[in-house]
This record gives sequence, structure tokens and C-alpha cells, in this order.
Amino acid sequence: MNAVRMNEGTGEGKDMIKVTPEKLSAEEVSQMVISPCCGAVSLFIGTTRNSFEGKNVVRLEYEAYVLMAESEIKKICTEIRQKWPSVKHTAVYHRLGLVPVTEASVILAVSSPHRDESLEAVKYCINALKARVPIWKKEIYGEEEYCWKENKECFWAKQDKDPSLKNCQESSTAFSEMRLE
Amino acid sequence: MSCEVLVLYFAKSAELADVRSERICVAQQTTSQQLWQEIVSRHPRLAALRDHVILAVCQEYVSIGDQLLLLQPGDEVAIIPPISGG
Repeated sequence: MNAVRMNEGTGEGKDMIKVTPEKLSAEEVSQMVISPCCGAVSLFIGTTRNSFEGKNVVRLEYEAYVLMAESEIKKICTEIRQKWPSVKHTAVYHRLGLVPVTEASVILAVSSPHRDESLEAVKYCINALKARVPIWKKEIYGEEEYCWKENKECFWAKQDKDPSLKNCQESSTAFSEMRLE
Repeated sequence: MSCEVLVLYFAKSAELADVRSERICVAQQTTSQQLWQEIVSRHPRLAALRDHVILAVCQEYVSIGDQLLLLQPGDEVAIIPPISGG
């Protein structure tokens, strides 16, 4: 049996991070982390749901503090490499703007030689992302009814389960959507 | 000494302030609490976010409290309501 040396096996791991209004592709994101030295690619896909507490969600919109979101994601990737040094590549893609129900809002992929590390790293990554990456989701239920969601992982969120619509607007004044340049 | 910083508003805070970004003059040496108060005084509706909002100064989180900040002209200060990415 010939021993084959794979350059990729000793090359640097890459963190591929994108916060984008473009539609996300699981195939594309998982391909980015493939490496000949890895027997495992773990993937997490967060998709948009059509209901929240019985309310029909018509559409969802995401906005981000893009530069900070990317730098917070990079910090999470660095932590992953400290916790699981065998992790090879990571890819974290988050979509912005209007995301139709059932489409992916976030896709994470991690490769490692064996499955335990990539599986654990992917779970750590989505939990950390929900806790501290500055991205916001607005659920829109109807003509003028919407709600800014709050992740339970966010430590500065109001944690009480007040059923009043604290972030929700039943009849909003028009708010012009402007993109931050 | 005061300096001009760029304040960015996101999500609920952008709706309450009715602005996405603006330049304001603030004291160069200030606590994060004083900085927040200054911003609320310009946009009183932001007071609704009290106790569940955090700041980011130059893209690093800063809790609203006694922490002393030394701001530089052009620094970015962001109002970060509870997040909901993922």
C-alpha cells in the first residue's frame, strides 16, 4: 500500500464567514469545508417556521450589524479551534433581508477527521451565535402586525415570559426600511 | 473634551429612534450609563428598551453601567437590542 501525502491534510484550517442577502445553499456550504484529511462534515441548517404560538407567520426579515456580526462569528470559530483542535474548516453563513418560510436563515458546517469533534463544534457554534452575534429577526404576521424576536440565549434580553406584546406591533406606524451602508 | 461619534441603531431601537445612524457630540470620557442617557435624551422613546439593551463600542459589547469609556472621534457606538439571529 502506498502512503499518499495529502498537502491539504497539513494545511491551515479556514473559517469561511458570510452574512448575506443571498439565498443559502447547504450543498455549497458543506462543500466549502470538505478536506481529504476529514472523515466528517457536520451541518446545521436553521430554517424559518410558518407559525409562532399559533400565529401565522407571513414572512421573516433579518437585519444585522454586519461587520460586528462577522467579527463575533470569527471569535466563535477561534473558540471552536481552541476547544476542538482537530477541527479543520468551519463555514458560517447567515442570510439577511426577507427569508421566505421554509428557507434556510443560517447554515453552519464543520469538518474534522472524526465525527465527535465536528458534531460538538456545530452545536457549540449555533448556541454561541444565538447568544451573541448581532443579528435580529422580525416575524411578520399580517398587514401591520409584527414582532422583533429575542433569543432565550441572549443574556441582556428581558427574560420574563410576559405575554404582552412587548416587541410586537399591532398597528405600527410606517417604518421605512433603510439599509445601513 | 467632547468628540463626535457615529451612533448606529438596529431593529427595535431603529424604529424607536426613527433613525438608522447619526453623528453626535459626546464627552470623550464618559461612563456607558452616561452615554446611554445622552442617547436617550435625544430619542426619549428608547427608554422603553431600558434593562434589556446593550451597547457596542467599536464593535465590542459594553454593558450599560459604570464602565468608563475613552471615546475617540469617529468611534462607532451601536445600540443593540436583544438579538434573534439563527
